Amino acid sequence: MTLAMLLLLVLFVVLLLCNVPVSMCIALSTLAAMMVSIDAGPAMTTVAQRMAGGLDSFTLLAIPFFILSGQIMGRGGIARRLVNAAKVLIGMLPGGLAFVNVLSSMLFGSISGSAVATTSAIGSFMIPEMNKAGYSKAFNGAITSVASTTGLLVPPSNTLIVYAVASGGVSISALFIAGYLPGILLGLALMAVCCVFALRAGFPRGERVPLPEVLQKLVQAGPSLLMVVIVIGGIIYGVFTATEAGAIAVVYALVLSVVFYRELSISQLPSLLLRSAETTAVVMLLIAASTALGWLLAYENIPQIVSEAMLALSDNPWVLLLLMNLILLLVGAFLDLTPAVLIFTPIFLPVATALGMSPLHFGIMLIMNLSIGLCTPPVGTVLFVGCAVARTTIAQIVRPMLPMYVAMLLVLMITIYVPELSEWLPRQLGLYE
Amino acid sequence: MKNLVTLIDRCLVLLLTVLMAALVLAIVWQVLSRYLLHAPAAFTEELARFILIWVSLLGASYAFRARMHLGLNLIVEKLHANNKRRVELFALAAVAMFAFAVLVIGGGRLVLLTAQLQQVSAVLGLSMAWVYAVIPLSGALMLVYVLDFALALLSGAEPTPGIDQNQNDALDDSGASGPHTSRE
Repeated sequence: MTLAMLLLLVLFVVLLLCNVPVSMCIALSTLAAMMVSIDAGPAMTTVAQRMAGGLDSFTLLAIPFFILSGQIMGRGGIARRLVNAAKVLIGMLPGGLAFVNVLSSMLFGSISGSAVATTSAIGSFMIPEMNKAGYSKAFNGAITSVASTTGLLVPPSNTLIVYAVASGGVSISALFIAGYLPGILLGLALMAVCCVFALRAGFPRGERVPLPEVLQKLVQAGPSLLMVVIVIGGIIYGVFTATEAGAIAVVYALVLSVVFYRELSISQLPSLLLRSAETTAVVMLLIAASTALGWLLAYENIPQIVSEAMLALSDNPWVLLLLMNLILLLVGAFLDLTPAVLIFTPIFLPVATALGMSPLHFGIMLIMNLSIGLCTPPVGTVLFVGCAVARTTIAQIVRPMLPMYVAMLLVLMITIYVPELSEWLPRQLGLYE
Repeated sequence: MKNLVTLIDRCLVLLLTVLMAALVLAIVWQVLSRYLLHAPAAFTEELARFILIWVSLLGASYAFRARMHLGLNLIVEKLHANNKRRVELFALAAVAMFAFAVLVIGGGRLVLLTAQLQQVSAVLGLSMAWVYAVIPLSGALMLVYVLDFALALLSGAEPTPGIDQNQNDALDDSGASGPHTSRE
């Protein structure tokens, strides 16, 4: 057991440092560790079989759909209208453009379901404008990256879908609703940081907008916002499944951009489909490889061993939760979100339930924790994209990030120790008892 | 070699675009048939699941070619030219190892196994060997791409240029640009 786990870890780190794609690092180190106790031929078959098994899921089908609808919304003028609506609503506050960035990220992230998509879509609209208004590049990169993680919690979220699969049976509709309050709280905390930043650095306020223009922008964004209502409403009231909601979102975004806004032509569709297929494949290969690794860990009894070791360490739930979160923060810094969710849910969920935590609450905590890792080096996908869009470097972005990390950690602590934040809303809607 | 790579590019681009569109149509049809025809289509769910497996694996090969997979490039970028080239060759060898051992051999054995057991899918009655056949196929395609990159690295020339014209305006739209930039 220990030899296999040592081999797994060493090989994974070596391959990762050599810039081998993460999904392949996971698959290759899983194969090597498996060959310690299983013959080479059957081991290769098992890895391939588990990978295929990980891909074969109706629930996961929602992921390509939300990716595709995100692409269409970025190109078809939907993202821009959401930004414009946010601008007339809160642009006049101190640090207003930063507020707009956060609110747009929550709105857009809540439809596209991916933090990386949000960072590049919202960033490409907001950052040039923030630069022009005199905001610093480093600050712009930092807030665009961090704000995008709010969309991981505000539904629909691909990450919540992955967690639903990994946890084996937590209801997607309950998870989606559970994400609202923590996601909004995170957004508000980030806006508070922006406000202090803007006042101290003297960032300009936006112009106050006359009422008719406010109404006009809101009306223009209306159909885009209606999409959230249809998707989320449809899932909660059982009109369709999360996967079907994704397909509906694609069709709705397409009709809106092509027929109503007329900003997308059918001839651009093939390139959007191809781009979405690529992004889907990147995510799905990570899921496939993590499923194989998850199988190996279960085969080696790792979840039981970790669970027993942790429960033997202390019987104070607060201490154990803190320990679990520290481990997850470390994991999140090195491992991308999707594999981290798939690998650590089976390991930590039994411990959490033994401590009396509900799988719903655990999922929200897990994702909020790991989304902090998305914004930290060395493996911080969102951070890299944020730097690229803002044309700045990781070294420069770190300083304005520090207070934002503090805000994220604070909201994480509240999420951990106040279960009602995640459980109250789904319970009110009768999705969870 | 260049002709082969371009041919594979063309096929993959076409196939991925069509499969992605089919995925949307299948699920939209599932919803429509349930609410409008009151006769839910039974085959759509299974079909969509199988298409997803194909898109994921074929897309994985194409994404490798487009350098879209997530990786950690911070260390490699700091190395001197010669060492950097050595590490890049090693990384390509690792990808080749993955494509060969896991996808071609592991996937190939899985296809043979399911063919022997004559496993068929529940609704469509499709042989599962056909569904899994995409695993060794995409492994083989990935090996061709690895070879193209390795030859380019050894000879100092550029690898075969891609056919996707929109590769560089990635920052204006969502999604795709992320992993791309992190590997550059």
